[in-house]
Amino acid sequence: MTGWETSERVLESGAFESRQRLLVAEPVVEASEAGARTLGVTYWQAVDRFTRGGVRASWAGDGGKLKLLGGPTLLTFGPAELSFDGELVSCRHVIQGGFLALRAGGSVTLAQRPEEDQQELSVTVEGYLPRLAARTGAPPWTGMLYAKGQSPFHAAVSRRYFELLLRSRDS
Amino acid sequence: MNVTVFGATGVVGQALLPLLAEHELTAVSRTARDEPGARYVVADAASGDGVAAALEGAEVVYYLVHSLGARDFEQQDRSAAEAVAREAANAGVHQIVYLGGLGADDPDASPHLQSRRETGERLGSAGVPVTTLRAAMVVGKGSAAFETILALVKRLPVMVTPSWVSTPTQPIALVDIARYLAGVCGNEATYGEGFDTGGPEVMTYRQMIERIAALLGRKPTIVEVPVLTPYLSSLWLNLVTPVSASVARPLVEGLRNPTVAREERIRKLLPLQLTPFDEAARRALA
Repeated sequence: MTGWETSERVLESGAFESRQRLLVAEPVVEASEAGARTLGVTYWQAVDRFTRGGVRASWAGDGGKLKLLGGPTLLTFGPAELSFDGELVSCRHVIQGGFLALRAGGSVTLAQRPEEDQQELSVTVEGYLPRLAARTGAPPWTGMLYAKGQSPFHAAVSRRYFELLLRSRDS
Repeated sequence: MNVTVFGATGVVGQALLPLLAEHELTAVSRTARDEPGARYVVADAASGDGVAAALEGAEVVYYLVHSLGARDFEQQDRSAAEAVAREAANAGVHQIVYLGGLGADDPDASPHLQSRRETGERLGSAGVPVTTLRAAMVVGKGSAAFETILALVKRLPVMVTPSWVSTPTQPIALVDIARYLAGVCGNEATYGEGFDTGGPEVMTYRQMIERIAALLGRKPTIVEVPVLTPYLSSLWLNLVTPVSASVARPLVEGLRNPTVAREERIRKLLPLQLTPFDEAARRALA
């Protein structure tokens, strides 16, 4: 896997912004509703595969829940917002709550967009307020669970997501 | 055109035949039949018996055969596809149209879905261009997957389901997959191509169960449990539905894989008005 990058920063508002990306030579999904949906379906599949079914998304008409072992709800999401504007293809879910969210707000966006003569695949979490992160002004160790647990976990899932996307394209 | 349909007596085959009425139609079945609209011939793709005769003069061949339920269904499907591919090449067939499975290209696909992909590959092994349409559950009377869900809804007020009920799928109405199949007949732009097909709605199996239940005026309680293996699920289905465990197990194993269209080229090629799920289910229930 080449061109892999991951970054994270805390905004003045206290919200987190996390981004993982990968550059590939050709588009992985079609610029269509089906292509945009594929980004979302593959991401949730990556969560399932990475955790060996321990964490799974469960969907209803009004959104989804990310559940641990079918029990506690880690995060809740709004329905998929699919977009395919020209060569930008994306699937966005608003974060609505759950144990890992301090409060509702933020989103996760799976996207494919052209970058020069390549295509960028990305996972972007914006405006998310993680419950496990250190609060503003609190000692850093209070955010250890987020920094050493949830954050690397998220990056690893993104990596698995890119792998799945590329494998499905090549199959 | 001269068109031969293998699997003509199946659910999809029966819906397809009237749509091919403008062609010289040969319908292949394993037992003798005599029905209007087509010339019926007896052949068995699995053994190869009668296949060459059934393909005499054929220009387009539909391959709607599968051996689900047999213990060694993968091997039987491979052999049958190779037999038809070989005889189709000998007969100078221009196109083989194959109905495969959505999700079959997933590298982690279930044995059943992998078998559907391999069958398509074997059909193309003798050089005749194959047009593959990939579909998830076909919503129609007699469709094994649909009838399984229906039986669950009718028989169980409370369902303990494995986590596959949260897997997304894109079911397609029987009439729509039949129209897509008929639409690619002799269409050279589709030779050697594969197309994802799906209905207008993506849903989880849980949502599908709830919508079918609503149509039947029922409201089952669904309890999702994280650990229920395909083996146990198939035994359970065998117990509470008319579907045998040998058919249920490969189907259940496949339910872990999302079966959602990844591209929409077929919709540009054949811009049909697709049937909403509730309407398709209502027709199947009638």
